[in-house]
Amino acid sequence: MTAGYKSPQFLRAVVDTLLPGETAKPSGRAALPSGSAAGLDPATYAKVARSALEAIVDAAGGASAFVRAAEADRIAVLRDVERKLPVPFRTLLAPVLADYYESRAVIAAFGWRAEPPQPRGHPLPPADEETHRRLDRVRQRGKLWRG
Amino acid sequence: MARLRKCDPVDVVVIGAGFGGAAFCKRLSERAPARRIVCLERGGWVDAATMPAYGSDWQRAVLGAWATSPNMRLSAGRASASADYPVDDSDSAFKPLMWNGVGGSTITWAAHFPRLHPSDFRTRTLDAIGDDWPFGYFELERYYDMNDAEVGVSGLSGDPAYPAKPPRTMPPLPLGRLGITAARGFDRLSWHWWPVDAAVNSIAHGGRAACNHCGPCLIGCATRAKSSVDCTYWPKAIANGVELRTQAIAVHIEIEAGRAKAVVYRAADGRDYVQPADFVVVAGNGIGTARLLLASEVASPALGRNLMYHPVAYARGMFAEELDGPVGPVGCAIYSHEFYETDERRGFKRGVHLQVTRENALLLQALRLDPAWGRDAQRLLREEFGRSIAVVVMAEDLPEPKNRVTLTDRIEADGLPGVRIEYSLSTHGRKSLDFGLDRAEEMLRAAVSHRVVRLPLAPMTGWHLLGTARMGADPWQSVTDAHGRCHSVENLIVADGSLFPTVGAVNPGSTIGALALKIADDLAREIA
Repeated sequence: MTAGYKSPQFLRAVVDTLLPGETAKPSGRAALPSGSAAGLDPATYAKVARSALEAIVDAAGGASAFVRAAEADRIAVLRDVERKLPVPFRTLLAPVLADYYESRAVIAAFGWRAEPPQPRGHPLPPADEETHRRLDRVRQRGKLWRG
Repeated sequence: MARLRKCDPVDVVVIGAGFGGAAFCKRLSERAPARRIVCLERGGWVDAATMPAYGSDWQRAVLGAWATSPNMRLSAGRASASADYPVDDSDSAFKPLMWNGVGGSTITWAAHFPRLHPSDFRTRTLDAIGDDWPFGYFELERYYDMNDAEVGVSGLSGDPAYPAKPPRTMPPLPLGRLGITAARGFDRLSWHWWPVDAAVNSIAHGGRAACNHCGPCLIGCATRAKSSVDCTYWPKAIANGVELRTQAIAVHIEIEAGRAKAVVYRAADGRDYVQPADFVVVAGNGIGTARLLLASEVASPALGRNLMYHPVAYARGMFAEELDGPVGPVGCAIYSHEFYETDERRGFKRGVHLQVTRENALLLQALRLDPAWGRDAQRLLREEFGRSIAVVVMAEDLPEPKNRVTLTDRIEADGLPGVRIEYSLSTHGRKSLDFGLDRAEEMLRAAVSHRVVRLPLAPMTGWHLLGTARMGADPWQSVTDAHGRCHSVENLIVADGSLFPTVGAVNPGSTIGALALKIADDLAREIA
């Protein structure tokens, strides 16, 4: 019954239920793609998260049934498996989220830069004059500690 | 025992090369230069070039070799530079976090560097709660100053929440839009706030670069702008003649007739060695120190008890305007001690630390959501990424004997008995956190956050492993005296956060370093 956990359609449906993306485009930004549209390779998860995927197949009444189900039903199945088998579910979820949130398309959709933190780092604005004046007001309060 | 290889005797053997061990070794080696000092460290040096921040897959490092939890690193099954041992935390409200190697948890700390307040040393006298330390803030003050100078602190003088401190070594880190926005909120309420003291270079200092605000401090600082004791105290200690043996796991302290005689350790070659010494000093954090002392059958009814973490909760405010995103040292923006000192009208004694933190990377932000997947999670992440401020509420943890470190029946791969922790949040802790969450939300609203969410208890915050070998005068209530010497084994000394009788409500790194320097001076007066 659980042999279908490797089927590409099933794996894609799982990934896209976990990460459906955005249908509407936020102002000034690209819409978030779905997991499969972001270029995730669902086949890789069959290798690392077999027990979670098999549990999803079982809970859905078959891999094909999961693929055909409405989104609300697929979500209900995943929630059920997450509740009953939190550790195996995490074994599936962690690499899916890591692949997704490290993909250039997703990072760009958040308006962030895809290159790693180093060596460029980031600029960070210093305190402005108004903030310095606020600090002066704190200073004027005098001693706040007890001895 | 016949298989043990005996090393040449030394004057002092120190176990653990984290903050306590590093500060102790550096100070003792300059105060007692003729003494031979060896430090045994279970892990190795971390090569900054191997830290993840230069790679495109840097975000997922937190799922594997650079996870904050040793249990997570072990279960990920990937090679980590941290020489971990499992901790059974199934009966603990918080998960212990640490790094095991040269530098200890300063390798992966946030480097937020506050001192305790003077009142933190006198909670019994002032508030009839907890216990007094055997000495006060002003007796430790010169060691705080000394520790600041060794570590290098960015900050701003004149904070009225503390007695005057020497000018900070470097100017404060930039506040960023996030810090400026939070400052506006505190200001509207006329509450105290101040730029944090940070053990991070705001300008080039000590042969290390200035921070370029890359963000992920908790996966190691690839530029070494963040101070960690492997690049501050240790080079000086080694130059002074301290011998640091890495991949050397202390498994037992030999004790005869009330005196420590030697340390048995397992070296990288897989062989067991015995290192005789006149003094044995343990600095393995509140779990590691207790584990080794319990395994060595140090007699003390207080040993392993009174484990304290600092309970932590979060309030996160969402803002309409763009803030900074995952930029800048994550724990080092601004803080408020408006509610740090006791005001009994709140319904509890002692107070809370409010710490404005910077945003995490996308993946970490996503993993924090519950559930972390689905349309709602993506909508929430879209709303908060680059537009949120998280305020950490840190409460004072009080010493409670039921919160403790014990040994299990099994022997772990490192040759020591397994270790288990038991910790539950007290009513006092819950009241403190709830009060702090209310204040954090009030500030975020004043800063014009349009939505605030709360995390009433944040379990993955167990960095501060304290109190399990506490100082005191009564051998029934404490493990060591005021000099860190075990009541039952006078030449066995503790030099880490295990010694704290109480913990205040701030990060302990600054106090651990200062205390280790004092303990070293106490010993130097006898042997120099």
